[in-house]
Amino acid sequence: MLEPLFISKTRNNPEVNLDKQKNYFRISGRSILEDPNKFYMMIYEWLDEYIKNPNPETEFYFDLEYFNSSSARQIMKLIILLENIQKTKNRITIIWLYEEGDEMSEERGEEIKIISKLNFELREYPSDDIDF
Amino acid sequence: MTTKTIYDFFTLLKKDYLSFTYRGSFNNSVLAMATDLIKNSMDEEHSRLRNKLSFLMIESFQNIARYADSKSKIIEPSPNSDFFMTRNIGSTFYIISANLIDNDKIDVVRSKLEKVNTLGKRELNKFYREILTNRKMTKKGGAGLGFIEMVRKTRGKLPFDFVKIDDKKSMFFMQIQLTNPNYESIEEKVPLDEAKKIQKLVGKESILMMHKGSFSQDAVGPVLKMVEDNMYSMKLRIQKKVYHFIVEILQNISKHSYPIDGDREGIFLIGVKGGRFNIGTGNYIENKKIENLKMQLEQVNSLSREELNVLYRKYLREGRDTETNSAGLGLIDLARETDKKISYCFNQIDDKYSFFSLTIKF
Repeated sequence: MLEPLFISKTRNNPEVNLDKQKNYFRISGRSILEDPNKFYMMIYEWLDEYIKNPNPETEFYFDLEYFNSSSARQIMKLIILLENIQKTKNRITIIWLYEEGDEMSEERGEEIKIISKLNFELREYPSDDIDF
Repeated sequence: MTTKTIYDFFTLLKKDYLSFTYRGSFNNSVLAMATDLIKNSMDEEHSRLRNKLSFLMIESFQNIARYADSKSKIIEPSPNSDFFMTRNIGSTFYIISANLIDNDKIDVVRSKLEKVNTLGKRELNKFYREILTNRKMTKKGGAGLGFIEMVRKTRGKLPFDFVKIDDKKSMFFMQIQLTNPNYESIEEKVPLDEAKKIQKLVGKESILMMHKGSFSQDAVGPVLKMVEDNMYSMKLRIQKKVYHFIVEILQNISKHSYPIDGDREGIFLIGVKGGRFNIGTGNYIENKKIENLKMQLEQVNSLSREELNVLYRKYLREGRDTETNSAGLGLIDLARETDKKISYCFNQIDDKYSFFSLTIKF
């Protein structure tokens, strides 16, 4: 059984919550790590296990208020890894969340949607007036 | 702000191991970040000064806040905006404040300062107790207790000056000097005139914030928070953009700068003029790396936004072959988010390294 992976968020890294049993997959917060490889390697390794025997329906949530360019490449690597699920009979959808009015996060999501080969849904949520 | 401005400021602050200049809105959360920034980046050998320094920074900063035109959120500083600076040169930390004062209040402030500057240790303590028991407080709170505390904590004088602006107002400058007693102090104290010169220049260049020091990931957080606090009323899109540029550009300094004695020394400036943001950085770079960096900058400057998007997406998906001389994701991303070209300059220092400055406008 694949144990859930939970990483708390800090000033520099997002919160990670990956739980096969609950069928819940989410990365949220900001990612401004200067050297993000080590951090994303933990997620990559977990997903690498997961794709060997994925749930029939996976909804993977990204709720990133901000990420720097070195994190962008790491996030993309995760998405490319998830493309493997689509090659099986199982389904996967990426749900990219962004706050209402946050054009930058929306554009970043649209861009990744263009270059990924997955079902990709952009979903806006209302602004809660808290600073970003 | 041009690349020359950056080099000029860097030269002006040559002796500063660490310095932070600020002219934005003065609230407690900015203060907390400013003290964090200084505490995180000060040299270990001065660590015993940490608490005293924080105390003095808070006193000085709140002094500005107390008299500031309250509630006005400063987005674009003017030449006479409130000014706050902390710098470390050798064994001494300097905290400089400058704010507008009514001309008719100058005499009162001057006489208070002249008095505390002439008193000895015991007289000061006596004077302190006198004021404490005498309940006469000014409306803005404070009867010179702050000044007495500053003198007691630093065991030194408080240089000050008033520079007339017009018939009604003057700029009130004050400098607190805290020296590490473990040091044989060999260097001369930096006169207040130097801070006055810097205040004038940052005013002329419409600079909101300037930070010189050794850059690491630790500096990014506080700087971002301070910028966020000054952009409250702005559109989320602009906030995010500023945020984005700052992260990329600061991490660029900490990654690629040439370390001298282990310190990745650099300077970082944010200016706002005519509603447009200017972000500038400067750092040392090895001469042998210049050609490659120049090519990358020329490359992104020569591409259209559409071409930059194509290149960015290609590298995002496939990764970049590090053998190529092409610009990386960070630089491509900076270039495609600005409306104008990235300006840059290399000033050769010696046959080993140069000073590299860069500005973006948007």
